[in-house]
Amino acid sequence: MTLPSTKTDGALKGITVIELCGARGHFMGKLMGDMGARVIKIEPMGGSSERQIGPFMNDEPHPDRSLFFWSHNTSKESLEINIEDSEGQKVIKALAAAADVVLEDFAPGYLPSLGLSYKDLSANNERLVMTSLTAFGQDGPYRDYKSPDIVALAMGGIMHSCGYDDVPGSPPIRPSGDHGNKIASHYGLIGTLAALFNRDFSGKGQYIDASAHEACNSTTEHALPSYLYLGATVFRQTGRHHSATPTPKSLCKTSDGKYLIVFQLFNNLHSWLLLVGWMAEAGMAEDLQEERYKDMARGGSRGMRMATDTTDSDHALEVVRRFIAAHTAEEIYRGAQNLKFPWGQVRSPEENLEDPHFAEDRQMFTDIPHPELGKSVSFKYVGRPYRFTKSPWNAFRAPLVGEHTMSILSKDLGYSSDDLEVLISKNTISCH
Amino acid sequence: MSEAKSVVRENALEGVRVIDFSWIVAGPQCTRILADFGADVIKIENYSNMDYIRASGGADSPNRSPLFNTLNRNKRSLTLNVMHPRGMELLKTLIKKSDVIVENFSSRVLEKWGLGYEEQKKLNPGIIYCSMSGFGHSGRDRDFVTWGPTAQALSGLTYMSGLPGEESAGWGFSYMDHTGGFYGTIAIMMALLHRNKTGEGQHLDLSQVEAGIGLTGTSVLDYTVNNRPFRRDGMPPGNRAPEREIAPHNSYPCRGEDRWCVIAVTNDDEWDSLVNILGNPAWANDERFATMASRFANQNDLDEFISQWTINLTPLEVFDVLQNAGVPAGAVQTPMERAEIDLQLKHRGFIAEVEHAELGNTKVESIPMKMSETPWKLNKASPLLGEHSAEIYMDLLGVSAEELGTLFEEGIA
Repeated sequence: MTLPSTKTDGALKGITVIELCGARGHFMGKLMGDMGARVIKIEPMGGSSERQIGPFMNDEPHPDRSLFFWSHNTSKESLEINIEDSEGQKVIKALAAAADVVLEDFAPGYLPSLGLSYKDLSANNERLVMTSLTAFGQDGPYRDYKSPDIVALAMGGIMHSCGYDDVPGSPPIRPSGDHGNKIASHYGLIGTLAALFNRDFSGKGQYIDASAHEACNSTTEHALPSYLYLGATVFRQTGRHHSATPTPKSLCKTSDGKYLIVFQLFNNLHSWLLLVGWMAEAGMAEDLQEERYKDMARGGSRGMRMATDTTDSDHALEVVRRFIAAHTAEEIYRGAQNLKFPWGQVRSPEENLEDPHFAEDRQMFTDIPHPELGKSVSFKYVGRPYRFTKSPWNAFRAPLVGEHTMSILSKDLGYSSDDLEVLISKNTISCH
Repeated sequence: MSEAKSVVRENALEGVRVIDFSWIVAGPQCTRILADFGADVIKIENYSNMDYIRASGGADSPNRSPLFNTLNRNKRSLTLNVMHPRGMELLKTLIKKSDVIVENFSSRVLEKWGLGYEEQKKLNPGIIYCSMSGFGHSGRDRDFVTWGPTAQALSGLTYMSGLPGEESAGWGFSYMDHTGGFYGTIAIMMALLHRNKTGEGQHLDLSQVEAGIGLTGTSVLDYTVNNRPFRRDGMPPGNRAPEREIAPHNSYPCRGEDRWCVIAVTNDDEWDSLVNILGNPAWANDERFATMASRFANQNDLDEFISQWTINLTPLEVFDVLQNAGVPAGAVQTPMERAEIDLQLKHRGFIAEVEHAELGNTKVESIPMKMSETPWKLNKASPLLGEHSAEIYMDLLGVSAEELGTLFEEGIA
């Protein structure tokens, strides 16, 4: 038996993935499917619980209308099956015997308890790569602990670095968007791809034990090196980098009530003169053309940090803030970038749909058809996160619950209609 | 592959050679992972133009930066001046012997060197060229520049982090340098798989902002499907989970100065366990908290009650007692707790040690996974500037000992 690929030209064309994942790992399967792998998502009866997470299309909860599920499950097929049933386990084993990759994010020990460990699944397929993406890993004192996204971000040290230094009593902040799960998924995918590359030469697959806890802990930039090498503890600051010593505020409000991230103000004399010249054109440079500010800029950002008297730099920043407050976010963003300042507008995600560089020139958003909702219905999705010149990114909509159950069992595994009737009567699968 | 293929392999990316022109964090994060998996990553700098991050941490030598050391372990350092014709010639020889070129310059630098993808391809048809710029190599804003915070701001990630009604809390570090690096690694490994099948190399045109936009899929769909912008009253959601309609889901104050824990109850069983651990207080029987829906509707009151319990415990005490009862909870861990106390990180050997010529015994974060056949190895600390120049020039590029002296004297190496 072979599992044919449904797509033709992506970098992962010909790779078949069996995905047994929830919120922690489903992004791995999506990223593989979007690049041409055939991804078969195994869902419990009734569908994955992530289908209950909002927002929903038209705000009507429905397992096939969760936008959270849509965005994390493009380019997959859905096989709805009870894997706690022995017939269901047979199906998973048969699929794994012909697959390249199994991705799973269950609690440690759960799949082995069903006879679906890596040893079981690779028994007839030594080329199989299996990635288990858990909260804390397959062994160790926290192995059975639970870790939804906010726990991963807290224990991983990420929340310690995010929040406010000017809102009294405010807590560390979990950046919204399921990033603990995404960091875990990125690393799970990286390990999976490395194992596939290795297999091209060794002929053998392997087992990967990855955890959200370690993934988040290795994604906090200065926090660990500062502590490990310098004994310094970084603290959180509003809208800017963690630091062991306070740094100037970088959020600046604009005339249209938005914000810009403004930094590297005194990086060198050249950029300082460009900035002051720009402000002077608008008649808003105030006293910043005076010589002492040039001396400050000559010292560069390092000189600034060393200075004990920050009166001048504080004043300069205030003048710059007044200039920014008199313009729109778009004006300052484009004006600054034209002078090569790496300033960024603080956009809400949907605002990039209006940005001509990303939306038009780079085609960063893509229309994906939803024929189940009507012949010509499609919605605009976030598109490719990378541009391959030879192996294109190409996504199709997330599957409906159990959409491919019958076709996978009959076409891929050769189940007869009588076999299927038996499975339906035993509640191993359901008929949609 | 540039090296002879072997069937017995110790490292997943054995035989892959990477020319690494990347600087600061994003590119080095990408090539760090490749190096950890056993690729031969050759980091190219020179004495007048070195990775800025070598100067971070108040270091007085280019070899003493903590962040540089953690980002560049397992790599080799080559000093080479591409502005000199002989330097360029040697670089071209190296391209012929390599598999991947990575750079995170702004978008026209390699073209200016006369080394755009078309030129690289002439030297080595199978080359995989990964450019990691802010805005990509095409489009009207391709010359705009980003640092991590810029990419976070533009993509929407900064705005999505914070308390409703306050300014953005954003990300307290360059998350998109890490994540931009991950996408570089992912793209390169996918392109290597493509090359294994077809023999073709290709240009991978990455944009740090686009990688960030790729993480905002649900919010963009809410707008394109429901016409509901993320920029609206009540958003961002702080530490709550309105999309899941579950409660309690928040941060809670603990004993100690500015200490916090998080608790996230996802179902009724976990709620029952939480109430039990709290000692079955009378308020927990209030009908306001009878169901998940009513707890979600009354979470201000609920959070207040829970805070009265957490405030008497340390974050790790909350973590311990609740997790042992099956309730998802965590400490907002400090760097000290992660490095010194976290029992799981200790058990998993997360903080690894390696000897560095100037820094002595140093500690770095491990790659966060265990692989059964090709586990990562910490072979060497970050390279001193030019540490591997002589061996690379002589063993790989065929430069004679005599010429090597000249290369150094003339500032080519």
